[in-house]
Amino acid sequence: MSSSLLHPPAHLSPSVALQLSQQAPAILQATPSSISSYSLSYLWSASETPELWTTYENLMLSCLRTGDEESAHLCLERLTARFGTDNEKLMALRGLFQEAVAQDDAALKKVLDEYEAILKRDPSNMPVSKRRVALLKTMNKIPDAITALNSFLDDSPTDAEAWTELADLYVSQGMYSQGIFALEEVLLVTPNAWNIHAKLGEVNYMAFKATSDQGSDKLLAESLRRFCRSIELCDDYLRGYYGLKLASNELLLALPQASRQKPDGSLPLPSQKTVGLLNQKATSKLSEIVRLNAAGDRGYQGYEKAEIIAAKELLNRESSKVVR
Amino acid sequence: MVLHHHIYLHTGGRTQTNLQHPIMTWISKSVTGLGLVLLAHACYSANEHSALNALSTASLSSTTSHSISMPSVASLPLDISIETVVAIFTVCLGLVLGTPELRPIEWRVWAGKIEREGEKGFMNGSGEVDVGYIGNPFKMLESRPGFVDIRKQRKDFAEWVREGGSVEVGSKK
Repeated sequence: MSSSLLHPPAHLSPSVALQLSQQAPAILQATPSSISSYSLSYLWSASETPELWTTYENLMLSCLRTGDEESAHLCLERLTARFGTDNEKLMALRGLFQEAVAQDDAALKKVLDEYEAILKRDPSNMPVSKRRVALLKTMNKIPDAITALNSFLDDSPTDAEAWTELADLYVSQGMYSQGIFALEEVLLVTPNAWNIHAKLGEVNYMAFKATSDQGSDKLLAESLRRFCRSIELCDDYLRGYYGLKLASNELLLALPQASRQKPDGSLPLPSQKTVGLLNQKATSKLSEIVRLNAAGDRGYQGYEKAEIIAAKELLNRESSKVVR
Repeated sequence: MVLHHHIYLHTGGRTQTNLQHPIMTWISKSVTGLGLVLLAHACYSANEHSALNALSTASLSSTTSHSISMPSVASLPLDISIETVVAIFTVCLGLVLGTPELRPIEWRVWAGKIEREGEKGFMNGSGEVDVGYIGNPFKMLESRPGFVDIRKQRKDFAEWVREGGSVEVGSKK
């Protein structure tokens, strides 16, 4: 059994998801439909493992994604037979199934009402609260989703997943400073998450691009620092170097006009020389990664194809500018 | 920063033997074998020596009528002791040469390996991805399984199928 069935499948590519869901009938056939400790067959059949239930859950998600609702429903039924209908996680999974098969907005509204009824009975049901936020987002009620998520985070302020979701919602509304705040909260919980450092750099960069007033240089410098930190935490991090390159390019343009004095107690802007060196470093690293990946080096095949293409494009743009 | 992560605790020893250089494993096996032969030889010599010693003591005590106090077991000759020690060190050397490549314990090196090599960097001996491999553990902060937007995923998937996507042949294995 492939290991990816033991991990949540949300980030997988469509082809992997299809491949997983195509295995579903075979897996469902091979695993026992119910496990009872009283039957005789318990003596010789494989005993129940935690992995089995994780597999069912992830298989269900993959099947729903690819539209194999029959297998998904079978997974859900087996999970329900094992854990009962009042299990919090299963309530959320059942809601997820109904969301997926809902035909129109009215059906979605009904699912939402159901979530609200569950939460009225038991406000501490975390999985269903999260589903409610996700459904509000699906129904394009972003402000409602943000309000719901904020009250969720009041109750559970160390939930890094919820903070990241909140940051994404804020950024989608163009509320960058709130998004930056939420991502900084994530970093308080998971200070070593190199992808979140890079994301914070990206949001700072987006905020810089969106604003044009005097203080925006500070955002750019902050973005540069975040990308540097992500690279410090992870060697050869393509996303980090890409961001570093973008941010240092902008900063090299912005620094000569920037005012030297710093009115508040924030960090000073980095010097022109430092930024130049970082820019060179990013360029050389990016071209090295792109080159080794294209050459088929065994140690450099783990990058996403789209990221490699984007990096190549950035380098090409740069070099054509130099030629001109 | 030293990484304390559970995947190292239960998947440490038995991985990546196939990624090693074949000459290295050959050398390690022959060195270990040589050491074992030496050790067996030393054991055999020691056994022979003590048997011979016992025999000569017995014959001595039977021929001489009065019992003179003789050391019952003479100490082992120096060459057998040296051979034993050398054999043990040779076996140790062979085993150490044959260990699989060590996993990185520095955070940035480990993280870089995940980003650079992906699943392929964490294969075990039989060519399957390690059970403990989870990739970037912080990836779920961006995929967020608790907040998954299943309708959007279904729509994207349908789009992908319409554009002619199918299971890649390369990803089958």
